[in-house]
Amino acid sequence: MNDDYLWDKSGEPDPQIQQLEEILGTLRYQPKPLPLPRQRNYRPWLAIAATLVIALLATGLWLRIQNKDASIPSVAIAQQKAPIIGPALSVSSASPDTPRKPTPRTVKYDRKEAIAAKQQLMFALRLASEKLNAAHRRTQDKRSSYENTLPN
Amino acid sequence: MATANMLVINPLADAVPNSGGKCPATEQPVEIGLVKAVLDGDREGFGRLYDLYAPLVHGILLARVPRTEVDDLVQDIFLHAFKKLHTLRDSSAFGPWIAMIARNRAVDYYRRSRETVEITDEMRGTDKQESKAAEILELIRALPEAYRETLVLRLVEGMTGPEIAARTGLTAASVRVNLHRGMKLLREKLTLTEGV
Repeated sequence: MNDDYLWDKSGEPDPQIQQLEEILGTLRYQPKPLPLPRQRNYRPWLAIAATLVIALLATGLWLRIQNKDASIPSVAIAQQKAPIIGPALSVSSASPDTPRKPTPRTVKYDRKEAIAAKQQLMFALRLASEKLNAAHRRTQDKRSSYENTLPN
Repeated sequence: MATANMLVINPLADAVPNSGGKCPATEQPVEIGLVKAVLDGDREGFGRLYDLYAPLVHGILLARVPRTEVDDLVQDIFLHAFKKLHTLRDSSAFGPWIAMIARNRAVDYYRRSRETVEITDEMRGTDKQESKAAEILELIRALPEAYRETLVLRLVEGMTGPEIAARTGLTAASVRVNLHRGMKLLREKLTLTEGV
């Protein structure tokens, strides 16, 4: 028996195989569209989450510095009312139990530091806000570009 | 099935010319390039793999599970393959890989649905040609496993022996032997049942 037709459809066709092909051909695979699930892009959401975390941290830091900053003027006023005359006098007038008051130099230094921290914080907040906006814009752009590629 | 959230690949709109499974310029199997493209994010590439291998998966399932379940299972298998493609180590082995998924899925099907009853063609009232086809398919399914899959791919899906060997990863000699012995057994069964 010649198996060439069965093997690669070459040679003389076998009538029985041809008949089987014809009958069984009705069960052949009919092409159907394959719906692939859309791959989710988590990058914009990660960016938004990171920005929110940074913003929260910055807010916490800012509130802490605000509290510290609010206490500085009262100390400064107290210092103006009771100027330090000299080291000997200040040592004699101060009781050993009272806490050490900050000198004008340290007050000035603290204030400068507070202002610098405040400026840094404001910068961090602006940066966080810009990042949030950028992430939002990117998400919007991707969504609109994907919608444009969808078939009608 | 909800398709609102899905990209639909239409095989009819993007048909792949039959190049014998080889890329003419490089003589490499086309699936190597397609698998790499899909892994790089080209979803259309998976549509081409689907076009190339859906008949193979369909044939493998048809040799094992009820006809009514085959179409849904084909889609399930390709969706599974799409998600797990990154686990395929050798890009040229896409055919044997997806064939193995199909065989395993057929086994799972019987594990999960032992108590179901297949709706026969008599129950469905299909035409005579289809009824005859279903009868012959039942005879093929009664053959040993190695023969039935090869015969279904040859007689139902219309693939040649070399194509079956290339897609399934079997050697040409094995396919040829399976076809020859399977056909011999089928002829005997057909004679017994006064078939074709």
